[in-house]
Amino acid sequence: MFPSNNSNDDRDLVGRARRGDREAFTQLIVQYQVPLYNMALRMVGKPDDAADIAQEAFLRAWEKIRTLREAPFKSWLFQIAANLCYDHFRRGRRYGVMPDEEITSNVVGLGIATPGPQERAEANERTRLVRDCIQALDHDMRIAIVLRDVNGMAYEEIAAVLRVPLGTVKSRIARARAQVQEQLQRHPDFFPTTEDAHAE
Amino acid sequence: MPSEPRTPAEPTLEELSAYLDHELDSAAEARVADHVAACDQCRARLEGLRETAHAIRALPMETPPRRFTIPEQRRRGWRWAPAGWIGSAAVALLLIAVGIQNLHLPAGPTATSGSFSTNSGGLANAPATRSEKGAVPPLSAPSPFTQQFDAQSAGAATNAATVVDSSNSARRLYPANDRMRVTVQLIGSPSTSLQSADQGLTLTLVRNGQGVALRPVGVESFNGTPIFGGWYDLASFPLSAPLAGDYRLQATWLIPDGSGRVLQVSVPVRIAG
Repeated sequence: MFPSNNSNDDRDLVGRARRGDREAFTQLIVQYQVPLYNMALRMVGKPDDAADIAQEAFLRAWEKIRTLREAPFKSWLFQIAANLCYDHFRRGRRYGVMPDEEITSNVVGLGIATPGPQERAEANERTRLVRDCIQALDHDMRIAIVLRDVNGMAYEEIAAVLRVPLGTVKSRIARARAQVQEQLQRHPDFFPTTEDAHAE
Repeated sequence: MPSEPRTPAEPTLEELSAYLDHELDSAAEARVADHVAACDQCRARLEGLRETAHAIRALPMETPPRRFTIPEQRRRGWRWAPAGWIGSAAVALLLIAVGIQNLHLPAGPTATSGSFSTNSGGLANAPATRSEKGAVPPLSAPSPFTQQFDAQSAGAATNAATVVDSSNSARRLYPANDRMRVTVQLIGSPSTSLQSADQGLTLTLVRNGQGVALRPVGVESFNGTPIFGGWYDLASFPLSAPLAGDYRLQATWLIPDGSGRVLQVSVPVRIAG
């Protein structure tokens, strides 16, 4: 789930892309399309909206890549996508999100090779609950925890993407986790705490 | 609960969370570790945060519903490509037809003086896509195709005016009430899917470089031609004030044949104030 830091590998591709090499940029798309799409998906909730954001982020990155100097491509790309997510909220906030529309058929790997119907239903319910908890966070906390726990970014990297101080990143992630934890604890059947387990 | 006098100070929520992520400096990490080892309450808090982080990390990574592409040439403008794609209809065998029937009228019989034109888009290296669904959904299920250009059968109010496309009298601009009806035909599409994502279709209402994405809804496949449409409530659009003004409705079609070719069409729209 956690992408490795490919900044060294990126450097060559970015250099070629800056010189107009579409093939090199296509390789960057292939490398980042899943994490970028999933970041957008966890932010906006709907697959089509997330795909739109990812597509637009790649387009803008392609158009602006000549301006990229020292910043790591990954942070820069995610910064573009994060801004698009905020644009999305500003423009479409009155329509809200409908996370239940998420397409489960696109799931990559369910974790268990052949779960039975009961296990699958429970796993789907757990996924839905976590997803809803993330959706309930305010945008600043949501993007921080998504970049950390979905995309596996280090705090410093998140600070670069969001252009906020390290302490702000730390605070947002902590508060987001606490809020999600509080929500999940309302569903002990799906998220038993360690104490619950000991009590049994 | 700290019980030993020498137990380090109780860590904050931020410190516990950062401790989980190994994002504390070594001194702080050692301090938190010492405290947690001696404090049941903080250990429980830490476990709760850990379980929460694991629950989020257990969310499945999902595959994008479509392929991401870049155009063969960079876009010239910021977002909405200028009219370079209009005109070369002879090149294209695939056509887009866009029809708008209703425009906003506040009340009363004042006719909207909007013009109407349908430009069959030429083959273009235009941007592959713009938000096709992120914004405004239609109000309800669109009307059937047979009503597409039939203003009279649309059952509209009597205080409406009709503007007929001079190049094609079958096309009419029919403003009434405060709704806008849009229909889009994807003539010659290799697919009969009525999912706009499958077809690569996006619709955007644009003014001064700012746009509102409309959600195209598949209506029907008529003789193999996918038709999309919907009634859109202009009053609910997140448009910047003033609402009245001249817009363009842009339809972009990334033809789903793997070629990467894009057709675009732009229709002027005037919203009366």
